This record gives sequence, C-alpha cells and structure tokens, in this order.
Amino acid sequence: MQVAELDVRNPSGLHARPAAQFVKTAAAFRSKVSIENLTRGSKPANAKSLLAVLACGVEKGHRILVSAEGEDEVAAIEAVRKLADSGFGEALVG
Amino acid sequence: MGAHITGIPGASGVAVGPVWHYGAGGTTDAPRKPRAVGDPGAAVQAAALEAAGQLEALAGRVRDLGRPDEAGIFEAQAMMATDPELLDEALARVKAGEEPVSAVRRAADAASAVLAALPDELLAARAADVRDVGARIARILLGEKMDLPDAPSIAVADDLPPSVAAEIPPGFLLGVALEGGSITAHAVILSRGLGIPAIVGARGLTAAAASATSAAVDGGTGEIVLDPGPDEVAEFAARAAGLEESRRAAAALRGRPGATADGERVALLANIGSPDDAPRALDAGAEGVGLFRTEFLFMRRQTAPAEAEQVAAYSAAFKAFGPDRPVVVRLADIGGDKAIPYLDLPAEANPFLGVRAIRLAAHGSRELLVTQLRAIWRAAGRAGVTPHVMAPMVTILDDARLLLELRDEARADVAATGDPLPAGMVTGVMVEVPAAAILAPELARIVDFFSIGTNDLTQYTMAADRGNPALGHLQDALQPAVLRLIRSVVAGADEAHIPVAVCGELAGDPAGALVLVGLGVDELSADAGSLDGIRAALAGVTRAELDDLARRALAAGDAETVRAMARELLERSGPALVE
Repeated sequence: MQVAELDVRNPSGLHARPAAQFVKTAAAFRSKVSIENLTRGSKPANAKSLLAVLACGVEKGHRILVSAEGEDEVAAIEAVRKLADSGFGEALVG
Repeated sequence: MGAHITGIPGASGVAVGPVWHYGAGGTTDAPRKPRAVGDPGAAVQAAALEAAGQLEALAGRVRDLGRPDEAGIFEAQAMMATDPELLDEALARVKAGEEPVSAVRRAADAASAVLAALPDELLAARAADVRDVGARIARILLGEKMDLPDAPSIAVADDLPPSVAAEIPPGFLLGVALEGGSITAHAVILSRGLGIPAIVGARGLTAAAASATSAAVDGGTGEIVLDPGPDEVAEFAARAAGLEESRRAAAALRGRPGATADGERVALLANIGSPDDAPRALDAGAEGVGLFRTEFLFMRRQTAPAEAEQVAAYSAAFKAFGPDRPVVVRLADIGGDKAIPYLDLPAEANPFLGVRAIRLAAHGSRELLVTQLRAIWRAAGRAGVTPHVMAPMVTILDDARLLLELRDEARADVAATGDPLPAGMVTGVMVEVPAAAILAPELARIVDFFSIGTNDLTQYTMAADRGNPALGHLQDALQPAVLRLIRSVVAGADEAHIPVAVCGELAGDPAGALVLVGLGVDELSADAGSLDGIRAALAGVTRAELDDLARRALAAGDAETVRAMARELLERSGPALVE
C-alpha cells in the first residue's frame, strides 16, 4: 500500500470542480484508492466516488491522507500528489 | 374573477397563458408501468448510465450557450449519476428485495442527507443536486419523460432548478411565478435574458394554484392572477400592449439626457463589467459609467493581473466614453466568496462579512490595490480624461482615509516614472455597509462622491442573504428601513455638497428610480437595457411629484406599499411618454 499526506491549499477545498478532478484522477487507476480528512477526523472513503469525497467536507487548509492499494498504487499516489501540487486544477480553471 | 397573489417583481413583462405546474408531485397520475426488464439490478445500472448521458449532453448544450458555471453543475451531476457509492447502495437495496425506483430514490436521499449535514453551505446546494439526480434516474426507470411544459406556458412552482429550466424548449416559457426564490435566483436571471416576466417570493402560490389551469402575471408589479376571468385577461393583454407601446416611446427619447418633466437633471449612467460593454452602453444613451466592475481582471487566473494589462483595459474604457462621459472605476470587489489563488485568503464562514475589497489592504494585499490605482492613473493620463474611482466595502472613516492614501501613493509612483498624469482623481466610496450610511455626514467631508450599492446595502441592513430564496421579501431595496438610510446618506452628502449616485438593481427599475430621485439621489447607474425605461419614467414626473412620493414612501409600512405608490405615479404620468 502507498500513502501520501497532503495539504489542501486551493481556495474551495475539495468541492465542486476540484473534487471532480480528484475523483477523475483516482478513478483512472485500477488500485483501490481512499481518502481520509485528517483535520476533520473522517473515516476512509472511496476516492473514486464524488459523493464520498464531497462528504469528507475537505476545506482549504485541511490535511488529507490518500492511500492506494493495487497493481498501480505507486503511479496512483504520484498522480494524486501532482494534482494536489497544482491546486487540484482549480488555479487553472478558476 | 381569479385568485390574486402578489409576489416580488423579478423581471418585468406581462404574460397570460396556461399554467405549467412544476414539481407538483403528480398524485393524480395513472398507475405507472415500470420498464419491463428482467434483472432489476441491471435496469438500475442502465438507467444510471442513461441519466449520466443526458446530463453530459445538457452540460454541453448550456456550455455552447455560454453558461460555463451551469455546465459545471450538470457535469458534476453526471458523475453523481454513476457514482459507485450511490450505485452500490441502490443495488444493495434492490438485492434485499426493494423495488428499483424506491431503491434509487432512497440511496440518493441518503447521500443527500450526508451532504446537507456538513457545515459548509456550498455543499447544501450539492445535496439538492444529488436528489435531482435520483429523481432523474427514477424517471428513466419508470419510462417517464421529464416534467416539461408541452405548450407555451407560465411556470408556477416553488422553485425552478437550473437542470429543468435549461431543458424547456425555446418559446415554451411565457413567464415564471415562484413561491420561493429571490430576485437573484437563477430563474429570474434566465427570465431577464429571455425578456419574460418573473415573480418570486409569492407566498401561498403553490397551494392556491394547485387546481389553476391558466394565469396572468405582471413581472413589473408582482401580480399573479390565477384562472383570470375574461375581463382580467383583457386587462393584462392591454397592459402587455401598453408596455410594448411605452417601450417604443421610451426608445424614442434615447439621446436626450436624463431629466424630470420640469427639467431637473438626473445623470443616467451604465453599469459595465468590461470595456467590451461600452458600445452597448453608448447605444443606450448612457451619459457615462456609474459602475465599471473590474473583477473580470482578477478572476479565473493564477496570478494577479499585471499593471500593464490593467492600464490597457481601463484606457480602452476611458477612450470609448471620452472626456465628457465619466467612467467610475470600482476597485476590485473581491474576497473569500470566489477562488482567487494569488490572494491566499483564509477560508471564511461568511465571506460577505469578511476580508474583501478595501479590507484586503490591511491583510497582505495593499500592493494589489495600489497597483490597480497606478493603472487607473496611467490609463487616464494616456486617454486624456479625469479618472473617477470608488472603493467598495468602506465601513469606517479610516477606510476612506486609506483609500485617499493609496490613491496618493499610486500617483507618486506614476509621477516618479515621468508618465503623463491627469490633474486629479475624483475619489468616492460605495455606501453599501449600514455603518457607512450612518457615518455619511463625516464620510462626505473626506470623499468626492457617494455611490449607493442598494443590493448589498439591503442585504446588510435587512440581515438577509442575497442568495437565500426563503428571504425574498427582505431582499427588497424598497423596504422603508433601507429607504430611510438612503435618505440620511443623501442628507449627509448635501451638507458637504457632494453628489450621490445609486448603482444597484433598484436604480434600473422605473418605479425604484422615481423613489430614489425623490429621495434626492443625483445619478442613476444601471444595466444599459434599463436606461430607456428610467429615462422615460423621469421625463413624465415633476420634482414636486417626486418629493411627495418620497415623503409618503419614507412613512410607508412595507416595500409593497412603496412599490404600489411609485407605480401609481408611473401610470399617472405614463401618457406623457407616448407623444
């Protein structure tokens, strides 16, 4: 299993488009990918479900734990880390 | 005679036609025959895929219509329709023996409840989106078509969600009457764009209209008549004809400056959101710009706009209007309500009561405002005009003093480079925070003009969120409490001999414009499309009539009474327009 702890720095957190970007990224891998909101202390949720990710209530400034388990777990975590670095696509699309 | 209900005017216009009840439930329907499919689990999955496909197509259509924000909502809904958690829950229910339609609805309701319980308000809207998706999948399972009007109709509903409004074929919506909703509701904006009447906040409407088959609506007065009799139909048809006639008459006055019948000048200015809006404003006879919103320069980007880019935008607007038509540039009205990556603002529970606009100066973004002011100085120097600028969100005297300090700092920066500079900058403040309205006499001694933003002044005075559909009646700027504040702002400005403009929605409404000018407002700034109407309204009345209207409005008990008084004056003076 691969894990990454990430700080969410984009203004609207994991709502709306950033959440959709996150889910699309996670869904592109075969591995099981989950997300936990460490700041809110939520339970691990399915990172390939927009509803589950929205329900984590991730706001700007929150810390999340993303884990991946499966054949492409390394690539999955790498992709999520890259996405987080880019502000979950928010900075690019407004 | 039909039942009469009065709501809040959202978009002007008059319509008579059949009622289309949206979201009424459908208890009278014939027994529904679910689609005959062998495996209920497979049926749920197929319906979910079909729903996602419909929503993606819808997203594409509204994107092509130039409405990307709406498209984003439908794209997210398309993802929800095939969400693995939602489907797992629905399929588990089916496996346990639950009927597929109920399984989908209950799975969507459960997901919706989770989102609604989160502390973030933005997610409450997503909760409604999930339920809407569940209803769409259920409809597909039942082989039902979406509930849409099958003939040109007046929509009567509690609310009209974007996903439904966008599916209504062009020409099939004659008018909109909503029990909920506010004048900032999506359906109202849509109606204005379509040029059809819209009425919101009509309490008791859906119950009263349950068995109505036709309606007459007047979006200018907020009147709704259910099942109108022949006389009422004739009356509304006459109103519609009269409206068309006065529109033509008003257009004929274009090119004349704004003035009352007895010659008191009232400058009629346009609100613009980018230099591209200039031709439309000039065509409408705008005598200048009372509100140049500059947010377009600051949104949807990763870094702050460079000074040179801003100079280009401001000088384009200054040149379009020339030296005789002043352009009032509003400093960036930005804050935590929109994602602005380069500001690095902390998340706020109430961004409209938070660090925004002039308040940014004390929170790490002083340079952002100084850069904007430098760009305005330079652009004015380049275009050969006197720049006008105003700051939003001014609350205390120190905010106004800070504005002057930033202005002078920017001027010194530009002077040091040797670039051409205009002699001065006409510097004003928005009056939209009640504190600023209360401090008007003192503020007026510091600045050159006031511009009252009635939308925010109303929201802050009435403690009623502009976006909350449940509080429509409190979002009416004709509320006597708001009018009394406006009156005291004018009194403060008069003492110091500075002009007062109004740049909110109320200024563009003919009835509202009469009340405002009656209260002593000197300039009105509105969307270019509203200028004909307010020019004609003013041309038909005298100062004495306006004084009398203002006196009665200040003493009125509620906004409806004030609107009725103003409309009565409008109608009385109407014939003067048609000559």
